[in-house]
Amino acid sequence: MSENFLQIKDLTKSFGSGQARQEVLRGMDFTVKKGEFCVLLGPSGSGKSTLLNIIGGIDTPDGGYVSINGDKLEEMNERQLTLYRRKHLGYVFQMYNLIPNLNVKENIEVGAYLSDKPLDVEEVLTTLGLSEHKYKYPNQLSGGQQQRVSIGRAVVKNPDILMCDEPTGALDYKTSKEILALIEDCNKKFGTTVIMVTHNEAIKYMADHVIKLRDGVVRHNDLNTEKLTALELEW
Amino acid sequence: MRNPLIKRIPRELKTEWHKYLVIILFMVLMIGVISGMYVGHDSMLAAIHAGWEKLKLEDGSFELSHKASQELLSDIGSGEKADVRAYLIEKGQKEADKEVAKQIDESLRDTVTKAIGEGVRAQCQALGITDEALISEQIDAAMQEGFDAAYEEARAAEEFKDAEKEAYEKAHEEVTKKVDEKWGETVDRYDLDNADFVPQRVRIFEHFYREEAEDYNKDGTEDATVRIYMSNSDIDQASFNEGRMPQKENEIAIDRMHAENVGIKIGDTIRIGERDFQVVGLLSYVNYLTLHESNTDLMFDAFGFDVAMVTPEGFRSLRTRVHYSYAFQYEKKPEGKEQLADASENLLKALITQTLVYDNEIEDYLPEYLRQASNFAVSDIEGDLTSTGILCYILIAVIAFIFAITISNTIDKEASVIGTLRASGYSRTEMVVHYMSMPVIVTLLGALIGNVLGYTTFRDVAVNLYYQSYSLPACSTVWSNVALVKTTLIPLTLMFCINLYVIIRKLQISPLRFLRHDLKKTKKSRAMRLPRWSFLRRFRLRILLQNMPNYLILIFGVIFIELMLCFAFGIPDSLDHYADSAEDMILSEYQYMLMDSTDADGEIITTSEKSAEPFCMTSLLFPKETGGFRTGMGSGGDESVSVYGLRKDSAYAPLGEKTGEDGVYLSSAFCKKFSLTKGDVITLHEEYENKSYTFRVKGSIEYDGGIAAFMDEESFRKVFDKKEDEFSGFFSHHRITDIDEQLIATVITKEDIVKVTNQLTHSIGGALEVFKYVLIVLAAALIYLLAKIIIERNEHSISMAKILGFLNGEISSLYILPTAMIVVLFSLISFGVGFCLMIWIFRVFVLQMDGYFSFFMSPSSMILSILYLLIGYTGVSLIDFFRIKRIPLDVALKNIE
Repeated sequence: MSENFLQIKDLTKSFGSGQARQEVLRGMDFTVKKGEFCVLLGPSGSGKSTLLNIIGGIDTPDGGYVSINGDKLEEMNERQLTLYRRKHLGYVFQMYNLIPNLNVKENIEVGAYLSDKPLDVEEVLTTLGLSEHKYKYPNQLSGGQQQRVSIGRAVVKNPDILMCDEPTGALDYKTSKEILALIEDCNKKFGTTVIMVTHNEAIKYMADHVIKLRDGVVRHNDLNTEKLTALELEW
Repeated sequence: MRNPLIKRIPRELKTEWHKYLVIILFMVLMIGVISGMYVGHDSMLAAIHAGWEKLKLEDGSFELSHKASQELLSDIGSGEKADVRAYLIEKGQKEADKEVAKQIDESLRDTVTKAIGEGVRAQCQALGITDEALISEQIDAAMQEGFDAAYEEARAAEEFKDAEKEAYEKAHEEVTKKVDEKWGETVDRYDLDNADFVPQRVRIFEHFYREEAEDYNKDGTEDATVRIYMSNSDIDQASFNEGRMPQKENEIAIDRMHAENVGIKIGDTIRIGERDFQVVGLLSYVNYLTLHESNTDLMFDAFGFDVAMVTPEGFRSLRTRVHYSYAFQYEKKPEGKEQLADASENLLKALITQTLVYDNEIEDYLPEYLRQASNFAVSDIEGDLTSTGILCYILIAVIAFIFAITISNTIDKEASVIGTLRASGYSRTEMVVHYMSMPVIVTLLGALIGNVLGYTTFRDVAVNLYYQSYSLPACSTVWSNVALVKTTLIPLTLMFCINLYVIIRKLQISPLRFLRHDLKKTKKSRAMRLPRWSFLRRFRLRILLQNMPNYLILIFGVIFIELMLCFAFGIPDSLDHYADSAEDMILSEYQYMLMDSTDADGEIITTSEKSAEPFCMTSLLFPKETGGFRTGMGSGGDESVSVYGLRKDSAYAPLGEKTGEDGVYLSSAFCKKFSLTKGDVITLHEEYENKSYTFRVKGSIEYDGGIAAFMDEESFRKVFDKKEDEFSGFFSHHRITDIDEQLIATVITKEDIVKVTNQLTHSIGGALEVFKYVLIVLAAALIYLLAKIIIERNEHSISMAKILGFLNGEISSLYILPTAMIVVLFSLISFGVGFCLMIWIFRVFVLQMDGYFSFFMSPSSMILSILYLLIGYTGVSLIDFFRIKRIPLDVALKNIE
């Protein structure tokens, strides 16, 4: 794993103004290595989603910076940021946000289209266990299946970083573990750096790197020496 | 790899087919109809212009009282003026010589007879003979014996010769004096001494015709007057819309329009004069695109007048007199109206002088550029599309807005997906392109189908509209660049720009805000406080407030629908109203325009009709400032103004005071058409001369029948350099019977006004009826689309309301009632707006035409136009009710799906 693939330095962010001003990030510092499975853990309002959005280049910090492979996001213009997201990132959200009138395969192709080095769509479908559903529309799938498609859409790009915002937040226990296993697979199989936001403490055991946030600051920044597999997790 | 988002488009089209079908139908109808009108218009004009060459349209014609000799035709053809003065003097001297010789002879005979008588009587007296009988006998004998010798002797006398010479000289002098006196008048009248005269060489063609009574139903009464030409004419030929040329003596081809109007078909036998003819062809003469019997007719009459073609044998078999009409073509046709006017003036001079010296008479002279029958239709066709185009663009803009709102709603609905795609790296441009594809595809599809229909079905509809009005030649479709630009490129650009603006604006916000469904540009700090109404009423009001942008579009749509309905109801109403108020459209029950104020003997024309009042009149042009709307016949785009010179105390248009040489009263139509008021200054100019007159408007006279200006006759005569007793015609309450018809140019009565509207109603009435129903369907479709948008936008809330336990009826009352209230309220307001807009559009339209025509809607039409909208909306509400009923409960519970 290369050092300092992703570097977060003195990151601050606040919302509102005057008395309503709320500081969400208050000088955050940490680094993530390439290929690392990093979990951002924290309760609601700890700033984890905001942090993820800033790393993803869809939100901007008030202070500090994010650098990927030495390139600072703050120095990028809108077009460069779009290209950054296009070339380097894959996104998985709590809500799957699939395109309703595209079928499973086409929804995954939406991700493949953006990439210069996409994975084979059929292979991704097989990996995600969606082969038999590939011609179904999102409204014909269960929540777990939809999240698989959403992961497929992100992974097929063969991104450097897979950003996951509470990917299991809307799923049941069993399906959640399956989804986590898939993300784990991607991390292992394709060497994709994973940054996952969650409030589920149990997930930290499958991560290489656990960053606990509270009130906008990093409370703990730990590296797991012994990891569990997703299927071994219990909560 | 192709962008997979493309695959959404056919699916979107499939799932939302009814919405897009309505939009495409709209576009197809609008683009198709307008394109059809342009293509029909261009095709028709192309056919007419091609016909001018192919069918050898004359440059003018003249009619003589007798058949012209070859020498006369050749001399007219040279374009040179004849030396009329020399001719008249020579002719006069010849006549005078005859008279003088006769008188001298009589006088000499008297003198000789008297001398012989006196000589014999003197001899008898010397011989003492007193018997008178004997004396008479002697005188007779002497006369018989010596008269001739005495007569010759007297003639040979020097004294006689001097007297004879003197008599001839005196007579010649007298003739010259008289010719000069008369000649002066002729020269003045026809401006024969004009130094600018240039001989205008022309080729002359015999174009004789007869006028017969046409009895098409053979009931023994005359149904129409038919003007019959021979089939072997080398000029002003005809194209055949149906059938063929007559080949046998008893065959005839008649005007298609007339045949259609009165129901004559090929194969029918009609009675012409005193014999029967079989109709073998329906034709359109190149010089009779409208059936104007006389060039001074206010309107053509395709019912009571017909033109026809028979074989030369058939022509000879007819009994009425031959009209010796000759058509001419310039050897070198001048270009431009003024040059044409000069050329025809010059030719007229040659014609007047040459016919005079050949002892012939001109019955009629008409240069082609002034010929109503060949120019009226062209001029009308040339300038009738602008307003339709404007209407089309307004509708396209409405559709573009509907599209924009639909897409805007879709974007709102798909906010999470857009946020995810943007977060995944889709650029804003890619998203804009994606959301733009649907309007572009639908517009292209609409434009494509519309154009195909425009060049086929709708072209035929448009061409048929022209055929219903005019006797036009058969035409083939021509490519119209104007149609492409106006019906395809402009609507596409309009659609593109409006949608692009809305979509770009909508997609401006960051991916994060899309993900958070935070789509409002401005955030309201707090909700508006509502009065303490019942919950449902407040709920309804909230819905109304939340959907304000959609309701604004709905209101815009309702205004547009009302505008369309005002158009559909108002045009026929306006025509009827015009006919109904025909009496207010004329200055007097009978308006006689005379050929001249004097008769052939130079006497001032008078009448014993007590109510008759002479007036002076001249035609000038008022420049229109609206730009190149129309370039029709004679008008050059300018408005033709009749300037009247009236008695100060006129019973027909009382001025009240003298206007002076720089003042005029204007007709109310003139004031309304050009928004002129008292104190304004207008400049009128001559059509064919570089001369203009400036007047200050002193007031208006209630007269909607024409664009007219009024002055007192004294000032009129001074301004227009008229003689003191010169005038143009009579106003009269009753028919004038004591003026020779030859002296009357035209008579305008109420019937002429009614004839105009009858012809218009006949020409466009059917189309208007169809148009009315098309507009009503379009109106219902438009309101369907707008109401659908509102329901679609609230699908989530409606679903949630269902989950909460609201009944379908309650939900419908929550979501349909506000729309219904808006529609009802704004149907009334929109009617007012639509009505005013229509008046404005009508004004723009009327500005392109000559004359004045005001927009009118009857109260029943006003009520109907609102009622139709409401009935249409009731239908749409029913659809909405079922639409609400069909919204599933899980819409609110599920993700975007």
